[in-house]
Amino acid sequence: MADYPPALGEIVDLFEHLPDDEKRENLIAYADQAPACAPKSGDVFDLEDVRKDEECTDTVGVFLKVDRTNRAAHFRISLGPHVQTLTKAMTAILCKGLEGATPEAILEVPQDFVPKIVGGQLVRLRSQTVYYILTRIKSAAKVWLNRERTASAV
Amino acid sequence: MNSKFSGYANPDVLVDGAWLQAHIDDPSLRIVESNEDVLLYDTGHIPGAVHIDWRGDLQDNTERDYISPERFAEVCARNGISPETTVVFYGDKSNWWAAYALWAFRLYGHEKVKLLDGGSAKWKAEGRPITREKPVVKRAVYPVPARRHDDEIRAFFEDTLAQAKARRPLIDVRSPGEYRGEITHMPEYPQEGVLRGGHIPGARSVPWKIAANDDGTFKTFDELKTIYTENLGLKPDDDIVAYCRIGERSSHTWFVLTYLLGYKKVRNYDGSWTEWGNRVRAPIAKGDQPG
Repeated sequence: MADYPPALGEIVDLFEHLPDDEKRENLIAYADQAPACAPKSGDVFDLEDVRKDEECTDTVGVFLKVDRTNRAAHFRISLGPHVQTLTKAMTAILCKGLEGATPEAILEVPQDFVPKIVGGQLVRLRSQTVYYILTRIKSAAKVWLNRERTASAV
Repeated sequence: MNSKFSGYANPDVLVDGAWLQAHIDDPSLRIVESNEDVLLYDTGHIPGAVHIDWRGDLQDNTERDYISPERFAEVCARNGISPETTVVFYGDKSNWWAAYALWAFRLYGHEKVKLLDGGSAKWKAEGRPITREKPVVKRAVYPVPARRHDDEIRAFFEDTLAQAKARRPLIDVRSPGEYRGEITHMPEYPQEGVLRGGHIPGARSVPWKIAANDDGTFKTFDELKTIYTENLGLKPDDDIVAYCRIGERSSHTWFVLTYLLGYKKVRNYDGSWTEWGNRVRAPIAKGDQPG
């Protein structure tokens, strides 16, 4: 678990030892929590990336704020109503699991935790959109770091 | 009957939410949900509906093919479906997978099939009942079908190659970017392993989405006739093959052509682009033109 931020490591550890049917139940429970990951009224962010992807996923908004004192990243994610349940579940898992990690640490998160959480039964050709939220989060972290480097170079 | 349905070649093949809600306890029906979203059924489904998964239940997971007639009979029996049962399919993504499951049922000769117009999204948008409770299904008797009807509604690589060479109607229902060869899968969808982009020479681009309204319902008979009969020029006796990437979007078009417009000879090439685009020396055209 050394490669994962601690909170994500705990979630992976929990899921990894569950049988597939219990994985499904827990994924649905996490999916139910996804709406709570959306930005709250009055929240201010360093970076907002809201995109609607053609024909597949619905609109996904990634909102990032990094605490300058300890470089702790705080993500909020908004989901359109038609995103897949696994994507909703991964949203809640990642918002909880990556809370407080640094942007650098987020970029280093290996994606091998996804099958451990989702399970063999659900890792299927067309359900690999579970990687999508992680990709978007990493993309936001990278943009934030690039902006920071640019600002410090000026 | 929904007034829109009466215009179709087979008006009884579609049902709307009001009809289905009124028939939810009809013992001669079995409501079947089939989705792209692998967990969607568990998050809430039509009361009494069972879940049949396009891959886990209908596909052979070793060989790239559909399950044997013996396994199909078992899938039906455990879901309370007999040959006399009318199966009403519905699902997400404008009924892609519901149409695919319906097509697969027809492969085994199950004729009593219907589709919920608009699928699960419209059912939910209309505020109709949803439950997480899985139904207790009484096992049915389903004799093993004598054969699969692949020759009637399914096209294989060789069939499709012959279709292309003979310049018979070949419809590519993928997105325009996939047809042109700019991308090999839908934006943000996982790459399912295809090495070349483009389309089958001679194929005309008619994305599946053209047949659907924004709420996932089918367009009217007249609108569909304009798209396929007038603009595309399909004739009543044409031998037609539709394909996409793995056969689900083309099932949607197959359903439109077969049931809603009444074309007699329509086949779904389920190997689709993931077979064609990987096949050594399979001819490929790129760009806007059929080639």
